[in-house]
Amino acid sequence: MQEQMLETKSSERSESKPRRFDYTAVLDIAIGFGLFLAAWQAVFMLKYKPSYLLPSPYMVGERLVQLAQSGALETSTLITLERLAAGFSISIAIGVAVGLLMVNFKRFGRAMGSFCVGLQSYPSIAWVPFAILLVGLNNEGIIFVVVISSAFSMMLSTYSGIRNIPPIYIKAGRNMGQSRISLFKNVMLPASYPSLITGVRQTWSFAWHALIGAEILMASIGLGALLEFGANFARMDQIIAAMVMIFLIGFLVDKLLFWKIEDRIRTTRGLNVIQK
Amino acid sequence: MQKNEEEYGGAPLSAYASAGQPSSKVLEIENLRKVHVRNNGKQQEDLVVIESVNFSVNEGEFVTIIGPSGCGKSTLLNIIAGLESHNGGDIVVRGHRVPSTGPDIVMIFQEDALFPWLTVLDNVAFGLRRKGISKSERRRIAMQYIELVQLGHFADSYVHQLSGGMKQRVSIARGLSMNPRVLLMDEPFGALDYRTREILQQQIQEIHAKTKKTILFVTHDVREAVSLGDRVILLTHRPSKIKQQYVVDLPRPRSSEDPQLHGLINIIQKELKEEIKYAGTDVGNEII
Ligand SMILES: Nc1ncnc2c1ncn2[C@@H]1O[C@H](COP(=O)(O)OP(=O)(O)OP(=O)(O)O)[C@@H](O)[C@H]1O
Ligand SMILES: [Mg+2]
Repeated sequence: MQEQMLETKSSERSESKPRRFDYTAVLDIAIGFGLFLAAWQAVFMLKYKPSYLLPSPYMVGERLVQLAQSGALETSTLITLERLAAGFSISIAIGVAVGLLMVNFKRFGRAMGSFCVGLQSYPSIAWVPFAILLVGLNNEGIIFVVVISSAFSMMLSTYSGIRNIPPIYIKAGRNMGQSRISLFKNVMLPASYPSLITGVRQTWSFAWHALIGAEILMASIGLGALLEFGANFARMDQIIAAMVMIFLIGFLVDKLLFWKIEDRIRTTRGLNVIQK
Repeated sequence: MQKNEEEYGGAPLSAYASAGQPSSKVLEIENLRKVHVRNNGKQQEDLVVIESVNFSVNEGEFVTIIGPSGCGKSTLLNIIAGLESHNGGDIVVRGHRVPSTGPDIVMIFQEDALFPWLTVLDNVAFGLRRKGISKSERRRIAMQYIELVQLGHFADSYVHQLSGGMKQRVSIARGLSMNPRVLLMDEPFGALDYRTREILQQQIQEIHAKTKKTILFVTHDVREAVSLGDRVILLTHRPSKIKQQYVVDLPRPRSSEDPQLHGLINIIQKELKEEIKYAGTDVGNEII
C-alpha cells in the first residue's frame, strides 16, 4: 500500500517544459498603443487646436527622426540614462547599507524609520534649490537630487523586508548550525528578496521622477532639458517627442527588467497564486 | 542502571513497563525551568511554562513526548535545540552542557521550515553547508537522504510544488542528512491526513531501525506516541512537569491490533484527558 501510494505520487510529477511565450499579452499591449494613437490622431483631425500646439503622431515621429539624425536624441538619452544609473545605484547602495544598520541597531532603526517615512514623501523638486546652492548647478547637483529623493525608500524597504522575515527561517538556519554571516547571506537575504525587489522597483520609480524634474530645472542636456527647450522655443513636437522617450524608458525598465525579476522570484516561491 | 528509579520519577510503571536497558545516555535534562514573558498589550506577565523537568534519553532510543496543547512541548524542544533560553536547570549532551545550537541536535519543526527559494535537493543540502564539503558532495549526500524518504523524483522541485506530507518528508531528510546525535521532531505529522500519517509513521520507524538515530518525538496523539516510542513521556498541563513515563516493551513492527498496545493507549489516554481537563480550567482562570 505504501509503495503504491508513493509510486503514484512520483508519476504525477510534471514534465519540465520551457514556459511558453504569451503572445496574447503582447498583442493586448499593442492593441492598447494602437487605440491610443488612433484617438490622438482623431483629436488632431478635429482641429480643435492649431497643429503647432497639438501636432499629429506623425509630426512627433518626424521630430523624433530629426532629433535622432542630429544626434541630439542619442546624447540626451545617454546622459539621462547615465545620471539615472549613477543616482539609482548610489541610492540602492546607501539604502541597503543604512537599512542593514537600522536592523542591527534597534534604536537607530526606530529613529531613522520615522525620519525616512517623512523624507520619502518629501517632493523631489523641493530639493532643487537646496541642491543648487549646496552642490551646484551641475551634474552632481542633479544626481544629489536623485539620490536624496530615492534612497530613503530603499532604506525603509530593506529595514522592513529583513524585519518581516518569518522567524521560522532564521530558527531553521540556526538549527542547521549556520554562522552569523552564513545566516545573513544564505537565509536572511534570500528570504527578504520578494520585499527587497519591490523596494528596488519603488526606488527606481522615485529616482526616475526626481531625475526628470531635476533635469528640467537644472540641466542643459538630457531628456528633461529637451523638454525644457521645447517649451522655451514653443516646439510642441519636441516636447511630445521627449515625453515619448521618457515614457518608453520607464516602460522598458519597469516591464522588462524589474517586473521580470519580481515575477521569477514570485514564481519559484509559489507566490503567484492570483494570475495576472 | 542504578539511577533508573529516580530517572523514572519513582512512579510505578505500568504493567507493560520494564526497566530500560543499560546503555549510554546521549541527552540529560536536569531540573529544567522555563518562564515565558508574555506581552499582552500594556502589561507584561510571567508565564511559567516548564517547572523542574528531569529525564534522560539513551543512545538510539526513540522517546515520544505527549501532553495537552499549550503545555510547553515545543518550548521544551526549542530549548533542547538551543533555539530558546531557559531560566533554570541544565541540558547535558554526552556529558557536555549545550552552549548553543549546533549540528549535534537537529530539530524538525512543527511548522513548515523549508526554504521556499531552494529546490528540494538544495534544501536538504543546506544542512551540510558548514562542514566545508564541496557543493557537489553536499548534493550527493543530500540525494541519498531524499531517496531514503522516497522523493527522488522531486529533487528539483520547489517547496510550494509539494504536498504537505512530501514537505514533511523533505524536512525529515534534511534533519537526517546532518547526521545529528539527537533528532528532535515536533509534531511532524500533526497536520497530515490519516493515511499519509500512517505511511510516514511506518517510514520513520524503518528509518529509525536503519539509522539507529536517537529520536525525541513530540505528539498529541496517544496512539502515535505508543506505536512509535520505546518510551512515552507524559507531561502535565502548564506549568508542565513529567507526570508519568511508560516503557513500551513491545516488538516491532507493531500492529495496531495488538491488545497490549491498546491497553497502554487506554491507560495513557485516561491520564492525558485528566490533564486536558486541568488545562481547560487553567485557561479559564487566565481569562479572568
Ligand atoms: N515566545 C513566547 N512568548 C510568550 N509565551 C509563549 C511563547 N511561546 C510560547 N508561549 C506560551 O507557552 C506555552 C507553551 O507553548 P508551546 O508552543 O511550547 O506549547 P505546545 O505544548 O507545543 O503546544 P501545541 O501542542 O499546541 O503545539 C503556551 O501557553 C504559549 O502561550
Ligand atoms: Mg507545539
